[in-house]
This record gives sequence, structure tokens and C-alpha cells, in this order.
Amino acid sequence: MKRKSIKLVLALILMLIVSCNEPETVVTDYIHPDGSVTRKIEMKSIEGDVKKRFNVSDIQVPFDSTWTIKDSVEINQKGDTTWIKRAVKQFKNIDEINLAYKTDSGANKEISRQAGFKKSFKWFNTEFRFSERINKKLSFGYPVKDFLNDEELVYFYSPENMQEAKKNGPDSLKFKALIDSVKHKTDTWTMKNLISEWIGEFSKLTEGKAGNDMAIKSLKSREDEFVKIVEKNDKQLDSLWKNGILLKEFIGEANALKYKTEADSAISIVSNNIWINFKEYSVRIVMPGKLIGTNGFIDSTQVLLWPVKSDFFLTEPYEMWAESKIPNRWAWIVSGLFLVFVLSGVIMRVIKKG
Amino acid sequence: MKTESEKYNKVLNILRKSKPVLESTEDIEREVIKRIARVHRSGLNLSEVIDYLFGWVYIGWVRRSLISASIVLVLVFVYQQGVILKRIDFLSRQTIVIDRENISTPANEIEKMLLVYKNSGRRFPSKTITISEKQMKEILESVNELQTKYKDLENLIDGDPELKKMIEKKLIENNHTKINL
Repeated sequence: MKRKSIKLVLALILMLIVSCNEPETVVTDYIHPDGSVTRKIEMKSIEGDVKKRFNVSDIQVPFDSTWTIKDSVEINQKGDTTWIKRAVKQFKNIDEINLAYKTDSGANKEISRQAGFKKSFKWFNTEFRFSERINKKLSFGYPVKDFLNDEELVYFYSPENMQEAKKNGPDSLKFKALIDSVKHKTDTWTMKNLISEWIGEFSKLTEGKAGNDMAIKSLKSREDEFVKIVEKNDKQLDSLWKNGILLKEFIGEANALKYKTEADSAISIVSNNIWINFKEYSVRIVMPGKLIGTNGFIDSTQVLLWPVKSDFFLTEPYEMWAESKIPNRWAWIVSGLFLVFVLSGVIMRVIKKG
Repeated sequence: MKTESEKYNKVLNILRKSKPVLESTEDIEREVIKRIARVHRSGLNLSEVIDYLFGWVYIGWVRRSLISASIVLVLVFVYQQGVILKRIDFLSRQTIVIDRENISTPANEIEKMLLVYKNSGRRFPSKTITISEKQMKEILESVNELQTKYKDLENLIDGDPELKKMIEKKLIENNHTKINL
């Protein structure tokens, strides 16, 4: 209970530091059979100051004055006010969306995102595939699936409200154990990524220099040990690093002195890579025809849903995809008639022969 | 009498053997063909249509090709629909999110950010900092201290069953809910 309170206080403190005026945003893409996309953005903000509310630089997806905008206000029973901005824009094709991503000046402009659309004619059906992909941030990280089992992975990628529902559901005790396990494993995953990324960057910076091979081999082979030391000594990490003790331990005294600058530069690069300026949002996709495949969640309105969090694309590209099909009725009729024709011919021949 | 009948037969034979003199044989030929064609057209019946339509059944390679094409078509249909039904069935077993998505920054996300901050040389990109790094360090130190004290307290409680019971009782009284320490 107290641990929870500490976490909550910590969360609140950090929210004050980190969070700005970004609205809660849900992006819904309505995919049309011709490849055009109607994109709707729903943004909710509790920010009272009209100047700070819905600034383009705070919005999670590309947005500008070319959108059709509708503003509204909701006041709940407690009297709390929520400002809602709904915006709609028709994109002729995927290229227009990708261009908007490239020229984005919003909150997530540092993230590389691409949309994709594929239409395949398969005689009886026409299949559609739509995807949104966010490129990974770290070059030397480990995939999260190496650390979590299937059940934990489902939790890891699940939307916040689904996690909340399970927390308060009948299996809440079992679920809390799962949450703890995921928390512990993802902490280790984050640490491993940090160390691995640092080794990778350090190796790049020292490439071609004398003694580099030995140092990198030593670091790589003792990566797990490195992680454990960092985890155990997080309070003394600064002094351990500044005094060069950590580096000496792993690459030897001579190399530690020789590569001190590179090691510091690598830390700087890693912190920039890992500190992603990213504001979370949710993506919804409505596909044409019947849905036949997806890696997303299905909400109560049968719309596909993906939460987008920075952890998801830290070490692997995060792709949200959906596939659907529309039956080609004319092809069914043509094929039916052809079959009847051939079958009749065969029957007629058999009769005449008999 | 006999000579008369002989004469008659002779004349008949001469007439039979002598061919008529025709001026335009080609015109007659054309007219005959035209009339024959007219007769055929007016007498077009169902069996002839069927024979015409299904003439391919008597040509071996055409028959075999069309039958093969039909079998391929059926197989493609069965395969495609089978795959689609399997995928739809898999989707129907997928988790359905109960409510509409409510986005908020989750607490564990912030914890993760803290962990990364702590272990990345305590560096925050300047863009996201609204307080000084000194203040941030102070917060982290106090949080660490608080966590250490909490762990000590937890150990102390775990080591003393009576104290544990007493605290649980007190917590139940305060919160009206059972808490497992």
C-alpha cells in the first residue's frame, strides 16, 4: 500500500516535471478501398488556458489549419471541464500521410513514422492491408520478447483501460503478480538496453583504434555483470563512473584512461537516444469490408485499437497493421457460370456416349 | 406398232442424252446455295444450338483444359475461403477491449523514465526540463531515501508477526479494506 503511495507521489512529481500541455489524443484512420484515408483526431484537454490548449507543437500527430475542426466543451457531474477538439481531414493516398509525417512539427516530430497501404486482387476477393510503422530508436537494444513470456507480452502491449479493467477484475491477485513480473522484467530489459547501447556506441567511437577489439570483447562478454553492478549501485553510479572505477573494472586500467572521452561521449549519445521526446496517443483503424487479420486490439465498437507508447519502439520497429477483404461478387458469378457450363458439357458428352 | 414404239424410244433416248443449253450457270448455282441456306436458317433448333455451344466436348485438348481450369477454380475458392475463415475465427477469439480508450500517462511509464534517468548518467534532454537538475537530483535522492526507509520498515514488519498483525488491524480500521503486507 505504502509502496503504491510512494509510486503515486513519484508519478505525480514526475508528471509535473515531464508532462506539458499535451492533450489526450485518439487518431482514427478510416481506410477506403481506393487507398484514400479519412483521418479523424479527437483531442481532450483539461488545460484552462486557451493559449496553451491544443498547441500544434503539443499535438501527437501531424495537424494544421487545413483540417476541418470542431470544438466542444464537456462538463462532468463534478463540474470538471474538458475541452474537446475534433478534426477531420481527407488524405488522397498514403503518400500524403507520409508527407505529413515528414513535415510534422508536433510533439512527436522526432519519431520516424510511415503509413502503408496495399491492395491485392485475388479473383474471388480483394484484400487490403493498412499499416502504421514507427521505427526503432536504439540500434543495439534487445527485443522485449526476449524478456517477457506470451502472457506478459499481451499485458505489455495492451491499452491502459484494459489493464485497469483486469486490475479490478475477478483475477486481480493473479494479475497483480503478472504486473509485478512485467515491471521487474522490463526494468532489467531497460537496463540491458542502456548498457548494450552504450557498448555499441562506444565500439563505434573507438573503431579502428589500438586495443579496441579487446575492450569491446571484454565489455560484451561481461554485459550481464555490468548490468547487475549498475542495478545494485545506482546511488553510487555517478561517483563510480566519474572515478573511472567502472570502466577500469571492465576494460582494464590502460584502456579506461585511453578511452575515457569516448566512453563519456557514448553515454551522451545513449542518453539522447533513449530520452525520446514522445507523447503517447492511441491509434484506431477502420478497414473496408470484413476484417481478416490484425495485431491490434478490438474495442467495443469493433474498431481496432493500438496504444502508442515509447517503450514499444525502443528496440524494435512498432507496426500496427490490419488486413481486410471485400468479396468480388462479379467474380463469384462469372466463376459459377463457367463451372455450370463446363459441368453441363461433360454431362452432355456422357449422355451422348451412353 | 413395233416400229412406232422403237421410234418413240429412240427419240426419248436422244432427248435424255442431250443436255440443256444454259446461259448463266453461275447465277443458278448461287441461287440454289442461297435457297439451301434459307432453309437451314429457318429450321435452327435447340439441339443444334447445344451442339454448337458444346462442340468443344468433342475436341480432346479443349475439353481437358476446361475441366482442369474448373478444378483449379474450385480449389482456389476452397483454399481462399478456408484461409479467410480460419483467420476470422482466430480474430473472434482475440481479446476485446471493454471500453473506449482512455489515455493517461501511466504511473509505470513514469517510473520507467525515472529508471532510465537514474541509469543514463542522470541526463534529461534540456527541452523537457522545467526544473533545474539540482532540484531533480534532490527529488531522486529523497525518493531513494524514502524507498530505503520503506524497505527497512517492511523488513521490520515482516520480522515481527505481532507488529504485522497490529498494523494490518490498524490499516483495516482505517481503510475498511484488508491489506496484505
